[in-house]
Amino acid sequence: MTTRPPGIHWAPAVLVGRAARTAARLRKRGGGSAVPGLVVNKLSPGFLGSVLSHFPEGLVVVSGSSGKSTTTKMLVTVLEAHGKRIFTNPSTANISQGLTSALLERVSLTGRIDADMAVLEMDEGHGALLSPQFEARTVVLTNVMTDQIDRFHDSEKVLAYLRQIASRATDKLILNADDAMLMRLADAPPEVEESPQAPSRNHHADASDASDASTLQSLFDEAGPGPAQAPRGAGTPTVELFGVSEQVLAALPRGLGYAETTVARFDGGTMVTGVSGRSASIAFDGAIHEVGLPARGIHYAVDAAAALAAARSLLGDGFDAAVAVAAISAMPAVFGRGEVVTVQGKQVEFVLVQNPASFQLNVDELDEGLDQVLVAMGSDVADPSYFWPVDASRIGRARIVTGSKAQEMALQLIYQGVQVDEIEPDLAAALDRFLALPEPERGVKTIVFTADPMRRTRSHLGLAQ
Amino acid sequence: MTHRILQLFPELTNVNGDGENALALARRLEWAGADAEVVPLAEGDPAPGFSPAAVVLGSGVDSALERTRDALATLRGQLTGWLAADVPLLVVGTGVELLSRRVELPDGAIDGLGLVPGEATALPGRVAGDLVVDSAWGRLFGYENHGRGLTLDEGVTPLGGVVRGAGNGTGSDGIRLGSLFGTHLHGPVVARNPRFAMALVAAIAGDTIDAYAPGRADAVADAVNAATARRLDLS
Ligand SMILES: [Zn+2]
Repeated sequence: MTTRPPGIHWAPAVLVGRAARTAARLRKRGGGSAVPGLVVNKLSPGFLGSVLSHFPEGLVVVSGSSGKSTTTKMLVTVLEAHGKRIFTNPSTANISQGLTSALLERVSLTGRIDADMAVLEMDEGHGALLSPQFEARTVVLTNVMTDQIDRFHDSEKVLAYLRQIASRATDKLILNADDAMLMRLADAPPEVEESPQAPSRNHHADASDASDASTLQSLFDEAGPGPAQAPRGAGTPTVELFGVSEQVLAALPRGLGYAETTVARFDGGTMVTGVSGRSASIAFDGAIHEVGLPARGIHYAVDAAAALAAARSLLGDGFDAAVAVAAISAMPAVFGRGEVVTVQGKQVEFVLVQNPASFQLNVDELDEGLDQVLVAMGSDVADPSYFWPVDASRIGRARIVTGSKAQEMALQLIYQGVQVDEIEPDLAAALDRFLALPEPERGVKTIVFTADPMRRTRSHLGLAQ
Repeated sequence: MTHRILQLFPELTNVNGDGENALALARRLEWAGADAEVVPLAEGDPAPGFSPAAVVLGSGVDSALERTRDALATLRGQLTGWLAADVPLLVVGTGVELLSRRVELPDGAIDGLGLVPGEATALPGRVAGDLVVDSAWGRLFGYENHGRGLTLDEGVTPLGGVVRGAGNGTGSDGIRLGSLFGTHLHGPVVARNPRFAMALVAAIAGDTIDAYAPGRADAVADAVNAATARRLDLS
């Protein structure tokens, strides 16, 4: 690695970052601003990579289309239960500016963080862009979904990004054996790319992300990608697999939702052998363990298998299966599918759908026969036709379909047999009418929305973003 | 009788929702009072033992092209027979490419089934955005997202002329060959374009039903398309 080690030379960057953080907090109560990270990345492009590469027990990077956030949380929980002190990032800070901001919360003036190990969730595109700057002991890749809302055009591009992230693994590559695209990384161990391919920057929906991307770009423009990477000392990483058994897959009418699913199931590794409600049977090291999940659904079980596979490999002889299983089982439950808020004295459940896979998962878990559902699709969905493979018929009846893509969403719902009472593209008007409806006879008022109407809904209702 | 709409390899060809045209056709038949069902055929399944009312083949990712081609090759005899029997075939994106003679890829080319007289060749760059096509069924609206076009042999009729977007990359889009309808309009082209849908339903059910009665969703589709036309400044 060519990153600078920690030292007093990072003090100016840290101080500037802290000042920016204070300033941002004064302007916007509650913090969470990405500005400090942006400032520091601009001022000291090598800072992030330096901090990331100098944890005593190394860096673990978790990436993939979906499940990276839950997998990261579970892995951190298991490692902490084994007495490790872990630095991790909140899931909202999985791109470089957010990562740097998160580091600034904890870093010393010399650019060190008092923790044994870092476990970081990284966005695929930003992780690829950052990859020349870090070396990771372990890389965990969850899956490649055909999440084409607007970002990457196709799954091949996502795989290319993940390949770059995987190329930074020195020790272990932990892969989803059911994902045929990821398994191509196991067949041909990723090579260090000579010059990183920057993810497309012209396709971002929101400005904050784009501004981060241009900061990243300026990083490369000014500093270049750095000298050719030193060859990896430890050679190619070994591959560890996780996934589901034949019976589990056979019981899923819609499969796992990956862009491509492997034809054959694997043997060994860490395998989900059964799922029932909020518990899963997960087999490893010749025994089957009953693991409690934070929410219902196969995807949480697969996330737990990924976290257990990573923890086993990171902890080696120090891994205690009973401790690990107890730690995951004790994680707080995710309430329903989403967040329940009280607005104007009425309970409303928010269900965020970020891609076709999460749309399907969330709709499948809705209570049947809900009589008050509002569905909102916004301009964050560039092409609503990607959602058509989602069978939304379980919604049954949508009181209002709203958002700038309301007509498109309604068209799909009508063809799928959902009763659509009203189409109102104006989100604010739709929300007001929906909230004014009398209390539902069944369940709670439920709002299913994509990311853009989610932000607008929260803002219209005066809720924290 | 039940009209069975055969949906080919949805696990490989429904990336953009093109496979859902099978659902859209079945729903329109039902709305017109006919019985209809979608019959998905998965990779590795035996060829269906019935003659379908219509066949829908959608679009997939490039990494699955060869697998899809091999799956289609097992149906070559059936596909040829259905075309000879005037069974409507709605084919989208890489589906059309794989039915052509040859698909050009960055590292070489692969052979298609050769049922469509033409070849899929690389466009100057990837295109993603609105695609608007003037056709025999009026103006068709949809979305395209692809890196290759379609070069048809001399004298072969496209589905229509491109008003906005790239389509085949030659000023026209898709192919119209007997009962085969091919296009780059991905996603639910049938749901989005009622007049085109009516023509397909009429081809499926003949005069046993009123295929030309607008479905209850057609006003919504018209609203989507009117908004698109305004956004694209089309008169
Ligand atoms: Zn981005």
